[in-house]
Amino acid sequence: MKKFILYIIIGAATFMMGYTINGLYSPDLSPVQPIPFSHKIHAGTNKIPCMYCHIYAENSRHAGVPNIKRCMGCHSIIRTDSPLIQTLQTLTSYWEKKEPIPWVKVYNLPDHVYFPHKRHVKAGVPCQRCHGDVANMDRITRETVSFGIPYVRVSPLKMGWCLECHKNEAQKYIGTPVKNGTDCWTCHN
Amino acid sequence: MKRRDFLKILGVGGVGTGLGYFFGKASKPPAAELIPYLNPPVDVIPGVANWYPSLCTQCSAGCGIHVRVMEGRAKKIEGNPLHPINKGKLCARGQASLQALYNPDRIKKPLKRRGDRGKGDFEEITWEEGLSILSKNLLSLSEKGEADKLYLLTSQIRGSLNKLLNSFMVSYGSPNYLQYELFQNKNLLYANQVTMGVNAIPHYDIANTKYLLSFGADFSSTWISPVSYSYAYGQMRQGEDGIRGKLVQIEPRLSLTGANADEWVPAKPGTEGVLALAIAYAIVEDGYYKGPDAASWKALLSEYSPKDAAVVTEVAEGRIREIAKEFGQTRPSLAIGGENLARYENGMSGLVAVNILNHLAGNIGIRGGVIPNSNGSRTIDFKNNIAAFATAASASKVKTLLVYDTNPVFTTPKAMKTEESLRNIPFIASFSSFMDETTAMADLILPAHTSLEDWGDDFADPSVGYPVATLMQPAVSSFFNTMGLGDIILSLAKGVGGRVKDKMPWNGFSDYLKDAWKEKYSKDKDMLASALTFDEFWNQLLTRGGWWPAEQAKVKAVAVSPKGIEAHISKASSRFEGEEKGFPLYLTTYAHSSYLDGRGANLPWLQELPDPMTSVVWGSWIEVNPMTAKKLGIKEGDTVTVESPFGKVTAHVYLYPGIRPDTVSMPIGQGHSAFGRYAKDTGSNPIEILPFMEDPETGEIALNSTRVRISRTTESEKMVKIEGSTKELGRNIVQTISPEEFKRMNKEVS
Repeated sequence: MKKFILYIIIGAATFMMGYTINGLYSPDLSPVQPIPFSHKIHAGTNKIPCMYCHIYAENSRHAGVPNIKRCMGCHSIIRTDSPLIQTLQTLTSYWEKKEPIPWVKVYNLPDHVYFPHKRHVKAGVPCQRCHGDVANMDRITRETVSFGIPYVRVSPLKMGWCLECHKNEAQKYIGTPVKNGTDCWTCHN
Repeated sequence: MKRRDFLKILGVGGVGTGLGYFFGKASKPPAAELIPYLNPPVDVIPGVANWYPSLCTQCSAGCGIHVRVMEGRAKKIEGNPLHPINKGKLCARGQASLQALYNPDRIKKPLKRRGDRGKGDFEEITWEEGLSILSKNLLSLSEKGEADKLYLLTSQIRGSLNKLLNSFMVSYGSPNYLQYELFQNKNLLYANQVTMGVNAIPHYDIANTKYLLSFGADFSSTWISPVSYSYAYGQMRQGEDGIRGKLVQIEPRLSLTGANADEWVPAKPGTEGVLALAIAYAIVEDGYYKGPDAASWKALLSEYSPKDAAVVTEVAEGRIREIAKEFGQTRPSLAIGGENLARYENGMSGLVAVNILNHLAGNIGIRGGVIPNSNGSRTIDFKNNIAAFATAASASKVKTLLVYDTNPVFTTPKAMKTEESLRNIPFIASFSSFMDETTAMADLILPAHTSLEDWGDDFADPSVGYPVATLMQPAVSSFFNTMGLGDIILSLAKGVGGRVKDKMPWNGFSDYLKDAWKEKYSKDKDMLASALTFDEFWNQLLTRGGWWPAEQAKVKAVAVSPKGIEAHISKASSRFEGEEKGFPLYLTTYAHSSYLDGRGANLPWLQELPDPMTSVVWGSWIEVNPMTAKKLGIKEGDTVTVESPFGKVTAHVYLYPGIRPDTVSMPIGQGHSAFGRYAKDTGSNPIEILPFMEDPETGEIALNSTRVRISRTTESEKMVKIEGSTKELGRNIVQTISPEEFKRMNKEVS
């Protein structure tokens, strides 16, 4: 009997371990995108501001993925010789097929969470606070490498993480904790 | 530790870790894609709604709406706060019109009949094919010199579309453009014409009246302009100047409005007109009428002494005199005659009697009374009605019928034989978006847009004392392969060619609409003053939702003369078909608050909306007084056969204390045999068992016109309703206060 309880305890502990490992190291933290777009070149090297492309962040709950016409607005002039932009399965090919690029979502919140970009951007939370150092990422990822080991995530997107900021860190941006910031209906509505 | 235990622990640990890992994976939200716009529309921000002002077409009240559109999809409809008719409010039918847009039973493509007529066997065709079939038919008709045998039957369309349809029919050479709906207020229009000489329904200023005498007008759920009247009723009850208005409701069956009234007077069905005249007589006799022609009014009304009327109407003489006193003395008071009164066989004369009441109390042309509307330039041909059309059709005088947004097969009594006469027409084309009973009879269906996808405008009738124009703009692009009715007509004009084409050079209905408004703009000095250019004015129209003056015009008084009015007063109470012996109960029908004349039955939101009085959801019921039910040995939920001399339907019994024991009542709207999955085969349609009885002067079909007998069948079922009991059982849920008490409290507070 004693042994049975021990097995249960060990089983439960390892179950939690497996669950955590999945949470931390699951490969969908940096999904492969349909075209090899690099944030490092755009936001890093060329220092294009976030909201030049993610134009709705200030006005809508969605930050907005740039529409293809906006991409082509630059790329019909800039780097027209680059094979990565001009060949098959790249930007131009989508534009010529008149099809949108099916980007894979990296920061995917469940349906029961209402998250408006607008309020957070207007409050002065820098984009990097949640999205990490995008300017140094070729492909968008939620992994961060410390001491050569990729294990600390940029944003866990768990409720505790949200509330922590609503209660404490918010004071850095707006001077007080978020008003009604821990009410259920603030986010679950 | 034994080697065996070590291995066991290792095994348990491994399995646990694996399970944990896969559980974590499975509990994550599924991978999602982010699809950007290729080339975004200028006014769209994903996640932010656009609100487009437009027009509600669920009934003919003409309310202004705001449609909430996100990324090109309509999501919600609310009232337009600037609009003078509904002032930002909207009824359930208006809210549910969203489901007309997304309805899975919409006709998604043009259809051509394949099998026998009325069997619902259609094949899909293209728009080019459909339009050419119809224009060929019209061409061959005019070549044979039978252009006048083309009939166009529509709902009550006003505004530019009406003008377009009219000019199409006139230039084609047919005088037969006919508008028909079940609730068209023809009796009211006629009564107002003969008493006040006004060709439009006046504005009943309920908001500012202090005593409202309603003859069966269920204005808070279905009568003419329910949102506008309900809002006004609220203002009347609030008593903004310290006096709370009083409402007296005269009707055999307690409606939602009746339930809100201070007094309910259940006069005998069919005698309300006599009661009105008796009240009028009492007003004159007791000296509340101060006009110089009091003597001639008294002479005219001499047959209607309250004493005699008390016997006929079963309302005590004292009560008649009391109502006369209050109505004659309260300033301002207002009498209105609603559908219950209007839909007797001599309903028009009852409404004349109501107008006499208003005149005697001095209510016509004053604030808080009857305010005539000035936009009554139209003429109404009362002879050109649905019965005349049915007669023409059975006499083979109709060769081609075009029908839009109206359903006479459902809304006329079986005794009128509308369906048979439609079978006599060689070619029927329908522009309906839904497969209703009339459209199912069609040979060709060219589905038109719903109102959220189309252009249009509307001039509210009745308006609110000054003209109100509402603009309809497409809030979303068309959802299926449909076409606006205006565009269909313009393409037909091109197909028919000749004079019709010359008269209609427009490329699309939106051009026609804009031109029509340009003309209005160039002629109206208020419109000219409001904007520098027409484009600016047009943008203003689109953003505000229409055009209405900023201030209310001065009210003009209209007198009613006793001369000549006698011809329009009916001496007797209304006739009912069926002998009292065989058919002991009066049947009154009323428009269901969500289906109206049946057009709302295909919208599931309306189907699951409980009726406000009975709280019944889905299905049809018959309201029977508990005393009558006890006598007949029936209980709630029993299925009964309701039989008139003209047919029978079945319905479930709902025990309703708010109805006279000699009367039963059924709501109109259910009992469709077509009209999509939500409407089909639900409940029963009481119009089927009505006699074909018209008002002799207006041609309005009487709805309260027969006696019935009800007999129990063996079946019974539990009513689907949300109320448990009709009584509050001392729970103090409904707290009431008398007007006197209210006045006293008001004084104490201020």
